[in-house]
Amino acid sequence: MTAPTESGIDIWDDDVLIDPYPTYAALREQAGVVHLPKNDLHVLTRYDVIRDALGDPETFSSTSIGFNPMVNEALQGTSLASDPPVHTQLRATLSQNLTPRALRGLKVVIDEKADKLVAELSTSSSFEAVDSLARAFPIEIVADLIGFSGHVKDNMLRWGQAAMQVIGPLNQRTQESFPIAGELYGWCSSVTAEDLTPGSIGRGIFDAETRGDIPQGSAGHIIHQYLGAGVDTTIASIGNIIALFGHHPEQFALVRENPELVPAAFAEVLRYWAPVHIWGRKATRDVETDGVTIPAGAQVGILFGAGNRDPRHYENPDVFDVTRNPVDHLSFGYGPHGCAGQGLAKLEAHAIIEALARRVRTLTISDEVREPSNITRSFELLQVEKVVAA
Amino acid sequence: MRIELDRPRCEGHGLCEEAAPKLMHLDDDGELVIDVPDVDGAELAAAKAAVRVCPVAALRLAAA
Repeated sequence: MTAPTESGIDIWDDDVLIDPYPTYAALREQAGVVHLPKNDLHVLTRYDVIRDALGDPETFSSTSIGFNPMVNEALQGTSLASDPPVHTQLRATLSQNLTPRALRGLKVVIDEKADKLVAELSTSSSFEAVDSLARAFPIEIVADLIGFSGHVKDNMLRWGQAAMQVIGPLNQRTQESFPIAGELYGWCSSVTAEDLTPGSIGRGIFDAETRGDIPQGSAGHIIHQYLGAGVDTTIASIGNIIALFGHHPEQFALVRENPELVPAAFAEVLRYWAPVHIWGRKATRDVETDGVTIPAGAQVGILFGAGNRDPRHYENPDVFDVTRNPVDHLSFGYGPHGCAGQGLAKLEAHAIIEALARRVRTLTISDEVREPSNITRSFELLQVEKVVAA
Repeated sequence: MRIELDRPRCEGHGLCEEAAPKLMHLDDDGELVIDVPDVDGAELAAAKAAVRVCPVAALRLAAA
């Protein structure tokens, strides 16, 4: 047994969270598996190591996707935190409303909403893109889809952010977010069909529970996961789209000239800046990976962004190239736990990119702010100036 | 080689169809249909690409 090499870095250090890519590069060059004693964590850094682990749930269990015991306890019984065979049924229940075939009817509505929002913004000389677009759009889409209104819709942003934050280690960010995540948990424990808009998917989930198609008491869990997983991540991705098009006007021009590049452009945004910084697994046995042994019971951290920039897998990985079409990027994970909402995420993001390509010639970013966050990596502020309408 | 589909795991994301349109397609209900399950030669590369891009690992290649 060869022990993995160690690094003294703290993967949740504020500076690392703001710009993790230099740290990712150093860890990845060091080894495919690196032990971080400061975080009591084994991180996976190289593309093949990460993909193999995600494809092997027997060895890399999801019972420890979070980095503190309280959150793992709270997530017990959800599809997110379970392993096959229990996972298989929970996943099917969760994903049946989210598969591309289930979402097909939504495309027209989502495209219209994106176009309307971008059309309004593109007539102003400047706008703050995080609140007015990156947050406003997915909140509107998810609220309509699940049937949230009133105070629940008003709380979606802070609940969604807190639900991701508490997956981190027991640092100050996690501790401050637990009460807010608790509000979401409490609401989801008591929500009834009448709280949700008639005709919404949320109502449909309760109907399925009443019919006995899904287990009693699971409707609230499912709604919790839609809100916890589907808001903060999509917000991060849409902010990243705008920032990257602002930073790389020549790449945006390529998309404008070739609208068929929209799916490839989104895949490249996800590869280049992973919306999820880190996600957990637990080693169920001593496992040989990349020539070293991860000990049984070890907490593992998957660094999606490190794998996405692995030069062993992608040529010139630090170049943002909308023609690359990296369909096998790791930002949606992979395998049985691959992002259940990726069909919806693509509908939303493609709609925004198409609307930008149609309505905007160039956008210049005059100010951008990131706040450190345990799990999602997103912008807090993106000031867009000199919008030239198409 | 034979393309095998884990039907319960397939969610109809459709990336396989884009990678290997001659070998498989999503039907009108969004269910995946493997049109050419046994592959070799040039088709094998397309089949491997389809297996590779499946985001939920629902496809695999097995000895025919």
